[in-house]
Amino acid sequence: MKQIKHSIGLIATALCLIPLLGQAQDKPAKGIIKIDLTYHQLNNDLPIIKVSAKTKKEKKFQPVEGVEINLFFNGETSQGFMGRVKTNSNGAGSLSMPTRFKNQWDSLYSLKFIGTLIQNDSFEDQSTELEISKAKIELTLEDIDSARTIHAKVLAFQDTGWVAQPETEIKLVVRRLMSDLAATEEETFTTDKNGEASAEFGLTIPGDAQGNIVIGAKIDDHEMFGSLVSTTAAKWGVPLDPDDSFAKSFAKRTLWATRDKTPLWLLIFPNLIIVTVWGIIFYLVYQINRIKKLGRTNDV
Amino acid sequence: MSQVTNASKITTDLLPQKFGTGGRIWTGILVALCLLGLYGYYRQVTLGLVVTNMRDYASWGIYISNFVFFVAISLVGSLITAIFRLASVEWRTPLTRISEIIAVSAILFASIIIIVDMGRPERFTHLFLYARLQSPIMWDVIVITTYLTISVLFLYFPLLPDLPILIKNSKDGSARQKFYKFIGSFWKGTDAQFRISENALRIISVMIIPVALAIHTVTSWLFATTYRPGWDSTNFGAYFVSGAFLVGAGGVVVAMYVFRKAYHLEAYITEKHFNNMSKIVVLLALVYLYFNINEYLVPAFKMKKAEEHHLQSLATGDFARLFWSAIFMSMIVPVVVLLFPKGRKPFPAFLMGIVVVVGSWFKRYIIVTPTMLSPFLPMYDVPESYKHYFPSWEEWAITTGSLAGTLLIITIFTRLFPIIPIHETIEEMEHTKQEKV
Repeated sequence: MKQIKHSIGLIATALCLIPLLGQAQDKPAKGIIKIDLTYHQLNNDLPIIKVSAKTKKEKKFQPVEGVEINLFFNGETSQGFMGRVKTNSNGAGSLSMPTRFKNQWDSLYSLKFIGTLIQNDSFEDQSTELEISKAKIELTLEDIDSARTIHAKVLAFQDTGWVAQPETEIKLVVRRLMSDLAATEEETFTTDKNGEASAEFGLTIPGDAQGNIVIGAKIDDHEMFGSLVSTTAAKWGVPLDPDDSFAKSFAKRTLWATRDKTPLWLLIFPNLIIVTVWGIIFYLVYQINRIKKLGRTNDV
Repeated sequence: MSQVTNASKITTDLLPQKFGTGGRIWTGILVALCLLGLYGYYRQVTLGLVVTNMRDYASWGIYISNFVFFVAISLVGSLITAIFRLASVEWRTPLTRISEIIAVSAILFASIIIIVDMGRPERFTHLFLYARLQSPIMWDVIVITTYLTISVLFLYFPLLPDLPILIKNSKDGSARQKFYKFIGSFWKGTDAQFRISENALRIISVMIIPVALAIHTVTSWLFATTYRPGWDSTNFGAYFVSGAFLVGAGGVVVAMYVFRKAYHLEAYITEKHFNNMSKIVVLLALVYLYFNINEYLVPAFKMKKAEEHHLQSLATGDFARLFWSAIFMSMIVPVVVLLFPKGRKPFPAFLMGIVVVVGSWFKRYIIVTPTMLSPFLPMYDVPESYKHYFPSWEEWAITTGSLAGTLLIITIFTRLFPIIPIHETIEEMEHTKQEKV
């Protein structure tokens, strides 16, 4: 009897283990993920590190959603840990450099960022590095006798201090809501031996009510400096005459006005119908009362 | 009906009967479904509309489809009771109360389901407090309230002559008798009372037709007044009304068969009723088919870019199975089957009634969701889940709960009141006797 019990116990244990063993055997091989880091800096502020995660499926790169990438600054250590980024449906995510790194970032001229993916269920561990030489753009605007000029100067931070960078491609733009608009006839400029590029601003474009527009100079995806943008506001736009015709129309009786401004026809006709129909309904309820009274009279 | 020539037999046959085992199981299932729906709604209220699968694009989903279905099926009250009454259709008597209770319960749940669709139900009163007559939603609120009130009156007036019979035949001092006395002990059946009641019924019969047409036309305007593929049509009012008459007639055929079987009413709801109602279903299905051809063929001929996406999703895309099922089930199959005399026998007619009702429910879903997922501006840079819609379990539970609630009201009503008017049936029998003499 004891032996039978032992055998049953063994069979039961084996049955419980079979699915686990099966699961272990069926576990699919982990995929390979490709992580890219890019560096973005606006107006000499602390940078933003953008992350993108892709994987190859059917010979095509597909974005990977929902993976968490650890970001480090200047070394994969707990002191260098900047934060964790979770990718969105486009496989992208971003992180602003935390302010506790400001002193370190100010003093260094070479910056190293590391992105790692570890202990992920679907992908092998992966690590990628991005090395950046710290640089900035100095933007100045000149308005002399209606001749408007944009000056941009590219400087890199080196052990000797800020040094002008010749032969660097730069764009002079007006920053608009959806994208940047070329501020000059030429799309791009190359900095001269002083690291400078200048161009005349000749656009006539609407600004805000005071005519303010935002002028910018930018370097896109530079292999050493990353993406840099420097901006400044100027009253170089055409002041916008506020179009309040829509707001004014709210004061009139329109279909889109507030309820106290309902068009008269929409007040009169539906209300006439409502009053008529509900008048008849109240008449019918009154008829029920009449029937009730007749019933009581009949009782008496 | 010709077999039944005795008033007391009519009374015995038509008095509400106690539920048997089947009735109790049926009621239990309905209550369970309602409770599940309530639980789903509790989750929706506490966790928010995020528990549904409605997102930025499909912001109207199964609730609005269900709402349109309820409004549609409620239209049957005006068809059978009012139009048949005014047209002096003699065979209508056993069907009037069935259709009126379907109308009342459906319109009641149409009002409830529209509140369910609101993210903030506690703001329901804002609809009245801050009403803007410019909004089609407001028109719908007004017309639904009006139709519900008129339908209740239309149910109540013909019930009055039956109440003394119910008081007499219920246990003395019982809660049920007290209830009957409360709502109708004053009915003594005097000539003056009959005169007032008949007059009131004539008024309601005339008034309910435009109100019933208005309720479904206004519901169609909720869609047609917005500029979207599939809804931007001047034909929508008539299209909705014709579809509503069809589903209502189908619903009555189903109810006729169920009540006939459950309460053994073969002598009252005869094959003639099924034959006539089936012919009406065929007519209504053909009219609705005509409107459908208009609604889909004309945009398909022009094939504007935004319409193309919508029509392709219906004809060959994500909604193709549902779309073609709706067309075949609610229109083509019933027409083919019911055209033959054998198809108009009670059981095949009942099956066709079910096919019409289910197909019509699909049709409402097809009217709402594919359009929401075919916006004029392409869906760009949105999560994949925004591009599709399939209801969450909470949405299914609430929808099923609301459908079960409608059936529960009808079931409870038949437990309390005769589903065929007793007094009117006796009067008709006596009238027939006199004619024979």
